[in-house]
Amino acid sequence: MQLKKVLTLRTIVATSAGLTLSSSTFVAAVQVAGFLAGDAAWLAILTGGLLCMTAALCFGELNGMTPSAAGIRLYFSRAYNEQLALIVSMLYMVVIMGVIGAESYVLAQVLSEVWPAVPALVWILTMFSIVTVINLLGVKIAGGFQNALTYSLILSLLAFAVIALFKADFQLTGSLATGGAEGLVNAVALGVFLFVGFEWVTPLTEEVTHHRIVSRGMLLAIGILSVTYALFTVAMTATTPREVLAGSPIPHLLFARGILGEAGVTWMVAITLAASITTFNAGLISVSRFVYSSAREHVLPPVFSKISLRFFTPWTAVLTIFTIGLAISIVVLVTQRYLMLVNMAAAMESIIYALAGLAVIRLRQKMPEADRPYLIPGGYIIPSICAVVFTGLAMAVFASFPIVLLYITLGLLLCTWYVKVVVPKLKLCYQEKKTTTRPRRRPVSGEKTRFD
Amino acid sequence: MATHEEISASLQSFCEGYKKNSKLELMNRDWNRVIIIKASDIDSQHIMTLRNGELAVVQGVSDQNPDLVVTSDSETLADLFYGDITPTEPYMNGTLVIQGSEDDIVRLDFISLMIWGE
Repeated sequence: MQLKKVLTLRTIVATSAGLTLSSSTFVAAVQVAGFLAGDAAWLAILTGGLLCMTAALCFGELNGMTPSAAGIRLYFSRAYNEQLALIVSMLYMVVIMGVIGAESYVLAQVLSEVWPAVPALVWILTMFSIVTVINLLGVKIAGGFQNALTYSLILSLLAFAVIALFKADFQLTGSLATGGAEGLVNAVALGVFLFVGFEWVTPLTEEVTHHRIVSRGMLLAIGILSVTYALFTVAMTATTPREVLAGSPIPHLLFARGILGEAGVTWMVAITLAASITTFNAGLISVSRFVYSSAREHVLPPVFSKISLRFFTPWTAVLTIFTIGLAISIVVLVTQRYLMLVNMAAAMESIIYALAGLAVIRLRQKMPEADRPYLIPGGYIIPSICAVVFTGLAMAVFASFPIVLLYITLGLLLCTWYVKVVVPKLKLCYQEKKTTTRPRRRPVSGEKTRFD
Repeated sequence: MATHEEISASLQSFCEGYKKNSKLELMNRDWNRVIIIKASDIDSQHIMTLRNGELAVVQGVSDQNPDLVVTSDSETLADLFYGDITPTEPYMNGTLVIQGSEDDIVRLDFISLMIWGE
């Protein structure tokens, strides 16, 4: 027996890479290069990619054991406990909202550069409205379209890099001169942000013939992105002055203009739009589905489980995310502190990956007999590396940007308070309502049903 | 542990609830799906078919490829289709496993919500 519709490896790679590719990654790539001397950005990016592969292997094993769209919520619940899983998932969703805020800011700046007469706020409002309407109507990006979009994006970035390197008659200088270990560690930590979201493909595990396809897809996506980012970043920093790139939220646009003039700008705007819309869409879907399912299990108020009778979409959850996302974007637009959100996402993602590595180790000890269709070779080596390295990278981000530590700690405390104080009350309220308004329908054992 | 008959009765109850809600038939008129419901702890399998908005359940093994496969222990399946529990909790803790497209899974949950409420 096989499902009527199954996804192929090509679509899994495209989805994983497509969710990762966003406009804010160009800003992060410039920051990565800024930590290093010479042309060593490629080293930090490839190292970041390699480390993310250890996380991908851990997600592969966890996903094989519990193939579910519930993802980290379920993995962490089994490895640690239900409350920790919920706290981490909630904080993660908040950080994703932050990424959407940073993304909207970058995209608005790109569009404002091309059409300066239109205020950035109008662009942000327009983009959020388009993606929200798409989600309210339940329109999905088809697999074939996602494939075409992602592979075109990657080819475009590679083409830009190659053209730039040829035009500048590039010679690699100081390719291994990192300028010190501290700079390299910080660059790798921020380099992790370039791969944020590769694991969002795990919910598709219910639509493939074998879970191994998802694991393989994540690894391939990280590999392709590592090479693409490394080439693109080296090309950017080799052909455009670093101080110009570092001080701008649109470094990729400045780079494109320098290489191909206005034609390059048009091409880059098209790339940015495609990258951002897919990230926006994926972010909105993930967070709104999380809000909806949380309401369904009485972790959030029931109002968030309301659905559109016409389009079968959770409209209250979608509109709530639209409002919160817009508010975050406006705050980012006013304060212009988009880099803080990028750093916050890098730290949070490192925490998630470290927890995933630990989860693999804990589950192997807690449930040694459980079926594991995919087992990471080499025993505990790779999960241990994943847990230790990503803990270290999170610490490096906190040490470089103490404000990030402050915000993540505050978020953690707030989510812990919510899960420990508010959630039990919501569940109790639901139980009381259920027992008074709705008796159990299933007949007790032995009692005859009316179908007997 | 629930029996095969209890699961059958719960599915009949689910069907009746579906038929009582005329909106559901209208909303699902374009959603033609074959759903297999399998118990993991007893020998029990059912086929739920949605065609032109009409829902039907039969016992036994399907000879056609399904769009969705719902697998759980018999107790959870019986409680689930009677609407005594929501699908979200067993899904989130891994007791309920559903194979198929995410959209279809969400749609099935919406149908359950509309039949049984929160």
